[in-house]
Amino acid sequence: MSKGQRLSFDLDDEDLKLFNEEAEEQLELLDTALVHLEGDPDPDLVQQIFRAAHTLKGSSATIGHRRMAGLTHAMETVLDAVRQGKLEPAPAVVDPLLRALDALRLLAQEVVLKRHSGVETGDLEAELHAALETEAGPFRHEPTPVSWALSGAAAAEAFAQIERGQPVYLVHVRIAEECQLPGIRCYQVLQELDACGVVAWTEPERSLIEAGAGEFSTRALLASDVGEEQVQSALAAVSDVGLAEVRALTAEQLTGVAGGEATPLFEAAPARAQLTVVGRETPEAAAAPRKTTQSVRIDVERLDGLMNLVGELVIDRTRLQQIREQLAGVLRQTSHAELMENLEETTAHLARITDELQEEIMRSRMLPVRSVLTRLPRLVRDVAAKCGKQVELVMAGEETELDRSVIEEISDPLVHILRNAVDHGIEPPDERRAAGKPETGMVSVTAWNQEASIYLAIRDDGAGIDTEALRRKAVERGLVAAETAEAATEEAILQYIFLPGLSTAKALSDVSGRGVGMDIVRTNVERLNGHVTVRSARGLGSEFVIQLPLTLATTKALMVMAGGTVYAIPLVSVTEALAESDADLHQVGGKHTLRLRDRLLPVADLARALGERRLAPVEGPRFVVAARHGDRQQAFLVDRLLGEQDVVVKSLGDVIGARRGLTGATILGDGTLGLIVDTASLLSEQAQLAATA
Amino acid sequence: MAARTPEHTVEGAAGGDEHVVVFRLAAEHYALDIQAVQEIVRIQAITTIPGADHYVEGITNLRGRVVPVVDLRRRCGLPVSEVTAETRIVVVSSSNGMVGLIVDAVSEVLRIRGEQIEPPSTIVRVPENSYLRGIAKLDDRLISLMDLSGILPSDDSLALGADEAARAA
Repeated sequence: MSKGQRLSFDLDDEDLKLFNEEAEEQLELLDTALVHLEGDPDPDLVQQIFRAAHTLKGSSATIGHRRMAGLTHAMETVLDAVRQGKLEPAPAVVDPLLRALDALRLLAQEVVLKRHSGVETGDLEAELHAALETEAGPFRHEPTPVSWALSGAAAAEAFAQIERGQPVYLVHVRIAEECQLPGIRCYQVLQELDACGVVAWTEPERSLIEAGAGEFSTRALLASDVGEEQVQSALAAVSDVGLAEVRALTAEQLTGVAGGEATPLFEAAPARAQLTVVGRETPEAAAAPRKTTQSVRIDVERLDGLMNLVGELVIDRTRLQQIREQLAGVLRQTSHAELMENLEETTAHLARITDELQEEIMRSRMLPVRSVLTRLPRLVRDVAAKCGKQVELVMAGEETELDRSVIEEISDPLVHILRNAVDHGIEPPDERRAAGKPETGMVSVTAWNQEASIYLAIRDDGAGIDTEALRRKAVERGLVAAETAEAATEEAILQYIFLPGLSTAKALSDVSGRGVGMDIVRTNVERLNGHVTVRSARGLGSEFVIQLPLTLATTKALMVMAGGTVYAIPLVSVTEALAESDADLHQVGGKHTLRLRDRLLPVADLARALGERRLAPVEGPRFVVAARHGDRQQAFLVDRLLGEQDVVVKSLGDVIGARRGLTGATILGDGTLGLIVDTASLLSEQAQLAATA
Repeated sequence: MAARTPEHTVEGAAGGDEHVVVFRLAAEHYALDIQAVQEIVRIQAITTIPGADHYVEGITNLRGRVVPVVDLRRRCGLPVSEVTAETRIVVVSSSNGMVGLIVDAVSEVLRIRGEQIEPPSTIVRVPENSYLRGIAKLDDRLISLMDLSGILPSDDSLALGADEAARAA
């Protein structure tokens, strides 16, 4: 380890923010408080300082910053002695604490800069330990203060052990810093201890150690009838054990430990403590089960490559099935019936294997939705605090998996709806009380899979959406004609919430902005070929459900023929497909218009709209496909409807480049290519054309 | 590498032997560096791209890959011809990925000696000649060596950008 060396810590960007805020807060507290420690300190102040050091220890240990955790641990040890009145806060004690504080600042910065600051903590720790010894000789053999929780049974067993005259040891093992596999060494240490006697308590928890998630420092309470030396030598047998302290405890010391003063190992960050998060694991527990499943990091590009190869395999499978059918007719009549049977068996098997392979590879690109949900508790807390509301967030289905390409896109819509739910949905506590509801509102985020879709439901038990206000606003702002709004059903009015430029909040707030949002949420979700729906009941709450495809690699589409080319129109944007003869077509101001459920849609020839100029005249009846994207609607004339199909999206390649109106190409059943229509860009282009015309 | 004749001991930058695929466009012979040629396939179903540049025939499915196809006759300003039994798609790998080039026929694979190659005429310099990098003079015929980057510029000028702009205007 040397200055400037790259460091990596076990935290993502969101955690980094949390860590930073917390570290800054605690360091500031230490800064102002430590200088007042000298002399005869106020016990509250000492307690405050001790807690600050303890919190820093917890958070630095969580992210795997060992030097910082080690130094704060040493500080904590000294401060605990001061707190218990065993050590007088003389300059000889405070000075090393202040020097340690200076070092802590640099260590905390390392987390942000991801570079080694050059600070080594060994000397400082030694200084702190020396401070403990010089002044307070009698106390130096006191057990290192440990904050732990002894469960009733474990404590009882330990006491019984002592009563039987058998020793109970407090064991502290440090794994050498250069060790590559501390988790495994920890596990070996635990096994050795198990062989020596009964292990009543460990830090980290036994389940973590057994899952291989142990860290460089392990502590344990061991009830054993073997001698101290034997435990020592058992531990020495484990490689990479740097320090092994084994100390026999007296019943008294054990009482001090177990007697109700059970403090949690790491105090939860205050930010999170105010939230009851159901269905979420604690950070420690969350780390454990995931480490037990074996995993390999794979480059996303490689996965994409595999996906493409499998796509080709799927197409070949389809081709092979077609060839088999063609051959069947010929071969059955001859003496090759048996050969034909073999071919049929083989193609059927190949088809099955190919499907499974495709599924497996799809799965390998999937990530649990958890990665998006983890930042929601903090978001809800912040928003609730800002609007003076009490909100409990409940999350479920975090293990639901979806394609990484989709995951990257759903975060914003999700955050937006959640913000709205807290800001606009949940009522202030007094209003809730008056309505006979619990003061704390409930917001839930639930994810689940169904068929080839993932659903995300955001529910709140707030006031519900005021449809009357919505109706009024929509008319006031000229978004909906008055007579249309009057006639609209409650359900239809709820849909107004997705109209651009609409807000139902009584007062504008800096949380949810000025009514921009829900229309963008819908646009974003639909761009991913998804849907967002809303339900609401006055006084009971609202529910938004986002439905998204599991992957963006395949799309359900309506296949049409236009100008001699097969086009795939994503099904999510198709509202209607009908024969031209059945369509209510008009000429309005010299323009083709389709009247569809009281709406007038401009009509354009699909091939022409896409820029096709080599158009042959069409014979026979044509068809009309009505498409919608966001708030835009348009009807397209096509030559034929070919039915629905799952299409695999393929890029048109660099030479063709990005084409407006086209997303890509797809391989059809007969091996030829069809073009996938990009409804979003096509409709906005058409709207522009109409505006300029 | 095959043995070289003794008189080839001195090699300039353009003096090395070239291994090329020779094909026919109208009555003329052209050649492409064999390194760039991925494969040669019979003409197959091509899906037109609406609004594409006139020489972009469309896209085709090459074993699951979407490959754009350029009509070389159109690209070289030659009159369009009917597809015959000899028409082929020469699939080349370019800086823009795989591209198919429609040619009238593929005749042979040749090794051309360096001294048989002359740079394109310095007198006749027309824009259409930008895709030629040399002319090989063989005993019985002339073969124009095509420069792939000339046919398929790496910028967007071929990527239908001009056409897009024309539509927007």
